[in-house]
Amino acid sequence: MPDRVGWLLDLYEDTREGVVLWLIGDDGERWRLRQNFPVTFYAAGDLEQLRGLQRYLRTRPEKLRLYRTQRRDLFHDKPLTLLAIEMGAPIRQPRLFQQIADQFPDLDYYDADLNITLRHAARWGTFPLARCSVSVDDKGIVRELRVLDSPWDLDPFDVPLRVLSLKPDCDPAHAQPSVLIACHDGHEYRLSFQLERPLLINLRALLRRIDPDLLLTVNGDTWLLPLLLSLAKRHNLPLPFNRELGRGVLHKKEGTYFSYGQIIYRGQQILLYGRCHIDCRNAMMWQSYDLEGALESARITALPIQTAARVSPGTGISSMQITTALRSNILVPWRKQQIERPKTALDLIRFDQGGLVYQPIVGLHFDVGMIDFISMYPSIMVHSNISPETPFPDRLGSSDYPPGLIPLTLKPLLEKRIALKQRALSLPSWDPRRRKDKARSLAHKWLLVTCFGYLGYKNARFGRIEAHEAVTTWGREALLRAKEAAEEMGFRVLHMYVDGLWVQKDGCREPRDFQPLLEEVAVRTSLPISLDGVYRWVAFLHSRVDDRLPVPNSYFGVFQDGSVKARGIDLRRRDAAPFVADTQREMLHCLARAQNPADLQQQVPEAVDILRRRLAALNAGRVPLENLLVGKKLSKQLAGYRVLSPGARAVMQLQAAGKPVRPGQRVRLIFTRGGDGVHAWDLPYPPDLASVDVEHYQKLLLRAAANLLQPFGLNEDVLLVQVRADLGRQLELPLRAWRRRRPPMVFEFDPALYPAPYHQ
Amino acid sequence: MGRTLPSITQAFIQEQAAFSRFRRALRRGDQLALDDLFASARQHLSAAAYAAHALPMETFLLSMLLEQHKEILRLRRQMAELIGSLDA
Repeated sequence: MPDRVGWLLDLYEDTREGVVLWLIGDDGERWRLRQNFPVTFYAAGDLEQLRGLQRYLRTRPEKLRLYRTQRRDLFHDKPLTLLAIEMGAPIRQPRLFQQIADQFPDLDYYDADLNITLRHAARWGTFPLARCSVSVDDKGIVRELRVLDSPWDLDPFDVPLRVLSLKPDCDPAHAQPSVLIACHDGHEYRLSFQLERPLLINLRALLRRIDPDLLLTVNGDTWLLPLLLSLAKRHNLPLPFNRELGRGVLHKKEGTYFSYGQIIYRGQQILLYGRCHIDCRNAMMWQSYDLEGALESARITALPIQTAARVSPGTGISSMQITTALRSNILVPWRKQQIERPKTALDLIRFDQGGLVYQPIVGLHFDVGMIDFISMYPSIMVHSNISPETPFPDRLGSSDYPPGLIPLTLKPLLEKRIALKQRALSLPSWDPRRRKDKARSLAHKWLLVTCFGYLGYKNARFGRIEAHEAVTTWGREALLRAKEAAEEMGFRVLHMYVDGLWVQKDGCREPRDFQPLLEEVAVRTSLPISLDGVYRWVAFLHSRVDDRLPVPNSYFGVFQDGSVKARGIDLRRRDAAPFVADTQREMLHCLARAQNPADLQQQVPEAVDILRRRLAALNAGRVPLENLLVGKKLSKQLAGYRVLSPGARAVMQLQAAGKPVRPGQRVRLIFTRGGDGVHAWDLPYPPDLASVDVEHYQKLLLRAAANLLQPFGLNEDVLLVQVRADLGRQLELPLRAWRRRRPPMVFEFDPALYPAPYHQ
Repeated sequence: MGRTLPSITQAFIQEQAAFSRFRRALRRGDQLALDDLFASARQHLSAAAYAAHALPMETFLLSMLLEQHKEILRLRRQMAELIGSLDA
């Protein structure tokens, strides 16, 4: 019996019995192994019906083992009596279950629709890229399997993955690509789409020679792979995308759904057997955490790599809960039957609330400490043991009951996140681990954030609205205790936002000056808290519409190390044109160079100068069109619009050109003069350069600049007067002359313009 | 997102809208002063949310009074300073 050691790449149902495992061997080989892995699901309910189900199952052709057993449902006090249905061929389980559920709709089903990798993770402790040692018999069947590492290790093994990346030379939504660019190990291969047979033959040779573990594509799900597969069919030259021979690729349909107040679009998916395909454009949050984050979320959720890269963190966290439940012998309901218990109106008013969001003290503040609770909601769930099945806690901190399902699931994740955060503080800036740690830490963050939402989500299998409310209740309590501690210690609380506070005190400038406050808050709340940083200065903005009203989440500032943090202004908005966002960013970085309040006043004219230069570039037509693109999301079907927004008008243009857009998809457009007022970027013909609505972009730019200069007493009107006067003159001069003759700094900083904070 | 109750901001806007007929009949100067009052109540929306009072308008009225009182205190202090500087 040879022993094999390596990394588990992929796991799926075999077409006959059991499961197939792909192992990346230490010897460089890729091993295809089989393992017997019977799966069980359960039915409960009326005895007569259960007997009927048993009779029905005996007539089925599948090999089944039926027995009575007792198990625990999280929402029942007593164990349930169940009919267990065990089968050796997991691949046939979904179909059998569907037929049973159609025939016996009144029964309750458990463990019925679970991903095979989660079942395997619960039984064997496996996860994607786990280091395993397996004993195999002569037929390639696994007799013994041991997992040698844990997803909670701080430094996972560097798995020698063979990666092939494929991308078209331009965005297929915008224009017809002509070349397919394939990259492997620093080598680039360019294959022309026009020569179809050579393309297929060369690609097939590449796939065979490299035999990649990971296929990284751009637009692979929605465009590239479907195209290549249809070409392969037409020329009868099959492409070995799968490692598993004799099986087609798996197609998943596109869809649109509603989540966290947003319409989200997911393109169709193409999944492979024995290899992993990740489409960077269709992967969830690829922008924020790239491959390292995707692999990390696969490791900790135990979902297959291809799935983990595409699903929302919500699915990830429920997968982790399912694995915990399976390991603790708790039934996983197929459909949730839990309903909210009746409440009095007063209870509803008291508990149906979110986190505390304060109105900040508008204006510019110097030497401000920002402290925040580390993963506040998950910490509360773990520390106070909040779970659907545990009693409502009556205090912040330790609980008298054994840990519930949710705290059990979250604890290792939370500990890993805190450990990584602490390590980040100690690693020097050149350390390569920093980037990886950051990507992984982001993956953890999203899982933890959604975990709270899933407690209150009506379709979550282990959700309960009261548990959700308990978390926010104690969150508000913790924030208020922190506020009280700060005020008692002489700090001025400038702003509070759910889990963070901005505090200021004369003489407190260094991180160590805030340490006593951190310790006091930790004592009063028993939750982990940290200093996010000390701002040299921070500005809280008021509403653009009414300058008496502060806006809770619009601010920007500079930390002591010179790094900039901004929220709620154009440079953070996804629908801002890059030109506008870049200008604002450049202006902010200009302001950020100031070391002290006096310097800051000096920097303001320089920032206005940047605005002036950018406006001149815009007027002179020197801004590339790509930088003027604005991305708008279609939030509903076109028919739902009463007044057509610019985005909707762009969608109409695309539809007229035969390019349909689904709700949740983003359209890129340019504002133009006359006609629709917009030009969709993905139309087959380019916009007329002369038609660009320069005035509208001027307005957007001025608004963005005014947002930034608001704390210095400048609004759009003042700025317009400042820049327009000399703009007119400059435009008459040739470009070079203007460059040589920089405009005079007509703008002087006037402290009298500085707005007094509303309340002193 | 699946809210059972209106948020405190929504409640505030509803209460303010309930006085739109009253506001309309006021003289222009009085309208502006009324807007100031509502704006001052808005400074304390988060506290009003936390209070979870069954009749939020009472909290809003109290917030207006609070801001008024702060203003009086501020003016009183300024007055004292002015008188002090005159005496000196």
